Amino acid sequence: MKRFDAVVIGGGILGCFVARNLRRWNISTLLVEKEGDVCTGITRANSAIVYAGYDNKPGSSKAEMTVRGNANMDSLCEELEVPFSRCGSLLVTYDVSSVPKLERKLENGRQNGVAGMRMLTGEEAEAMEPMLKKGIAAAVYAPSTGTVNPWQLGIAAYENAVQNGAQVSLNTSVNGIRREDSGYILLTSGESIACKVVINCAGLYADQLQQLLFPPSTRLKLDGAEYLVLDPLARKPEHIIFHQADSCGKGITAIPCVEGNLLISGVRKDLTVPFATTAEGLEELYADTHRLLPELDTSMVIRSFGAVRPNPYRESGESIPDFCVENPAPGFYSLIGIKTPGLTCSNELGLALGEKAAAFLQAEKNICFNPHRKAIEKKKEDPDYCQILCQCERITKGEIMEAIRRGATTVDGVKRRVGSGMGRCQGSRCTWEIEKLLEENGHGAI
Amino acid sequence: MEQYDILIIGGGAAGISAAKAAKGAQVLLVDRKNALGGVLLQCTHQGFGKNKSGIEYAADLIKDFPQEVSLTLNTTVLSISKDRTALLSGKEFGLREIRFSQLILATGCREIPMGALPIAGTRPKGVYTAGQMQAMMNLHGHTPEGPVVILGSGDLGLIMAKQLAQAGLAVTLVEKKDHCGGMIKNQRCLKEFPIRLICGDTITEVHGYPQISGCTTAKGITIPCSTLLIAAGLVPERELIFGMEKYDWLHICGNCNTVHPMVEAVINEGKLSGVAACNNLRGSL
Ligand SMILES: Cc1cc2nc3c(=O)[nH]c(=O)nc-3n(C[C@H](O)[C@H](O)[C@H](O)COP(=O)(O)OP(=O)(O)OC[C@H]3O[C@@H](n4cnc5c(N)ncnc54)[C@H](O)[C@@H]3O)c2cc1C
Ligand SMILES: Cc1cc2nc3c(=O)[nH]c(=O)nc-3n(C[C@H](O)[C@H](O)[C@H](O)COP(=O)(O)OP(=O)(O)OC[C@H]3O[C@@H](n4cnc5c(N)ncnc54)[C@H](O)[C@@H]3O)c2cc1C
Repeated sequence: MKRFDAVVIGGGILGCFVARNLRRWNISTLLVEKEGDVCTGITRANSAIVYAGYDNKPGSSKAEMTVRGNANMDSLCEELEVPFSRCGSLLVTYDVSSVPKLERKLENGRQNGVAGMRMLTGEEAEAMEPMLKKGIAAAVYAPSTGTVNPWQLGIAAYENAVQNGAQVSLNTSVNGIRREDSGYILLTSGESIACKVVINCAGLYADQLQQLLFPPSTRLKLDGAEYLVLDPLARKPEHIIFHQADSCGKGITAIPCVEGNLLISGVRKDLTVPFATTAEGLEELYADTHRLLPELDTSMVIRSFGAVRPNPYRESGESIPDFCVENPAPGFYSLIGIKTPGLTCSNELGLALGEKAAAFLQAEKNICFNPHRKAIEKKKEDPDYCQILCQCERITKGEIMEAIRRGATTVDGVKRRVGSGMGRCQGSRCTWEIEKLLEENGHGAI
Repeated sequence: MEQYDILIIGGGAAGISAAKAAKGAQVLLVDRKNALGGVLLQCTHQGFGKNKSGIEYAADLIKDFPQEVSLTLNTTVLSISKDRTALLSGKEFGLREIRFSQLILATGCREIPMGALPIAGTRPKGVYTAGQMQAMMNLHGHTPEGPVVILGSGDLGLIMAKQLAQAGLAVTLVEKKDHCGGMIKNQRCLKEFPIRLICGDTITEVHGYPQISGCTTAKGITIPCSTLLIAAGLVPERELIFGMEKYDWLHICGNCNTVHPMVEAVINEGKLSGVAACNNLRGSL
């Protein structure tokens, strides 16, 4: 049986950042993921926003971590070579009666230490974002809000963890956990694994995973969200727009992503099939979009997708507003119900867990830790990097080969690493060629 | 920097025809594929000119392709700028910038993918655009799994319905309009094969994950399927010249101008563009 100091269960963005930060210490680390690749769960479908931190209650760990995560995002993205856009955000409302809500957010932001926020008049907001429907009552401007590609950030953390010595077991699901004198035994779909520290980052299944050994104190109730993605050529707002629910609609969010696409997310709704959209949801989302951004050309929508949100509740049925890291027994940590702003706080949460594990294991600092990870670059001298396979996003054979070398085993895995197939034809012209390259490299069609 | 009188982007019917018409000028034709012919090369059905297949038709077109035209295949034009330079990228020459006097855009069209349509449900495997499946079958020898549902009964939807029915697969066409959309000659397959046609309805939801298992229409009909083809329309491929439409050095022909059902019209437009580009050249001398 293989033994590790720490095992991270779940290779979403949180598991990847936990693994990365465990390796800042001399802690032998294994990341276990049930799918064939990392970042295929919640991390694949969310709003991609790096929140400023004015939404969260002053004094909460969410507030504190969000402000810190936001402030550290530039240096984190530099270290990991992931594009980050600090585009700023406007929270707008069309009802004078909602203005006090905005004022409370501003006050929250002030108490949480969010820099540069201010209240705008309707005219000021309309001048900043001429595409917004006229008649704005007021808006909160937060210059520090930004956006980052969530799976790119997660994969970068994963690569950095591996480069620093973390081991990985993909296609391995943890199905049982036992305690033994010196720690825990994980029963998996493969071999059993022994470890002293377990960090549960199982996303939508984190409560069930904890229940394999401990009685649950947190329950996840899932709900859904829906998204539209627009062609980068569509005329779009420059800031992230949060529409505070009011008489003009239930409140959508529009995010000008780092890749140039506008992403629009709708309000929460009951979950039907995980990661599926519903006809009513899409209809409502289009209608709300037309109301808020009347000039937006929705004929330039290239994709819609559904997301799943894990909402944590106590056994008593009371909802848990803050991040909670459960620690039901020595050396066992569970991240249950880390929803928004989990992406913003992913490295902060990872750092915190790394420190907890290090303290528990009395581990020393890993002096060899290298925080830098190299992105897949466009090497213009190499002929493979001049052969365009994905015509819409201009992705070359060289980049795709490099994505395969770095662990992509499916067309989707390549897509998440280099962005092929994300464009206006949605992969209808390059999928075949990418499948062929995967096959040539031993990843046959399943 | 290399300089050409005329740069033609796209070596389909329109680009080939433009190259033939651009007599006396120094012409460079660039195509991202490894052969001339464009979409014709994936058409095995008879329907071009006098009952030729697209492949045969393309072979005829290429026969008298003018030798004086410089041809660069396997090369994508990445961008065009207003100062009349183009950035090319291909495995043979790497990144290459060229200067041109006249530009003929003959980049064809692309299909509308499922993502662009308000279709709810999961995002399963087994969903393709019709042209994508045409290329997979005719260029790569692939056969999809049946039963197949095709959204859209235009020419492309009908051509694929026929080919799949010929291959022995069960096919259902779903058409939003209250009648079949394609040309009469392409509708013949509806009589020759047991193809089910549902008109006045559209697909609103797909089911199954990771593989598609069926789809549901607006009127509530659920059709089991292993493959869904989207034949919901074609869009001219014009992003390269975004914001430059008004320049007189730009000539747009073929399917990137408007989507043409018949190749003859494409050839004709290509010719007009080639002549217009030459006339402009002479005018500017
Ligand atoms: C709709 C939505 C919008 C959001 N928008 C934002 C935003 O704009 N900004 C922001 O900061 N945050 C946002 N968030 C939050 C953020 O996306 C999440 O906090 C983050 O992605 C959670 O990542 P994760 O690693 O916990 O989950 P996941 O990505 O789901 O990873 C969990 C992994 O665990 C694996 N797993 C599960 N069970 C097992 C098992 N038994 N054995 C092995 N592996 C297992 C799964 O396969 C999965 O890969 C949003 C969240 C949602 C739902
Ligand atoms: C599926 C289908 C079936 C048809 N069936 C019939 C029929 O039966 N009978 C009939 O008469 N007509 C038919 N037509 C109509 C007609 O034949 C076609 O419309 C015509 O061949 C299109 O020619 P084109 O040159 O405009 O476009 P295409 O043939 O699409 O050529 C465009 C070329 O441009 C290249 N290109 C695009 N962008 C770039 C770039 N950035 N850099 C470099 N190269 C680029 C592409 O690789 C391609 O080779 C059919 C059309 C389709 C789509």
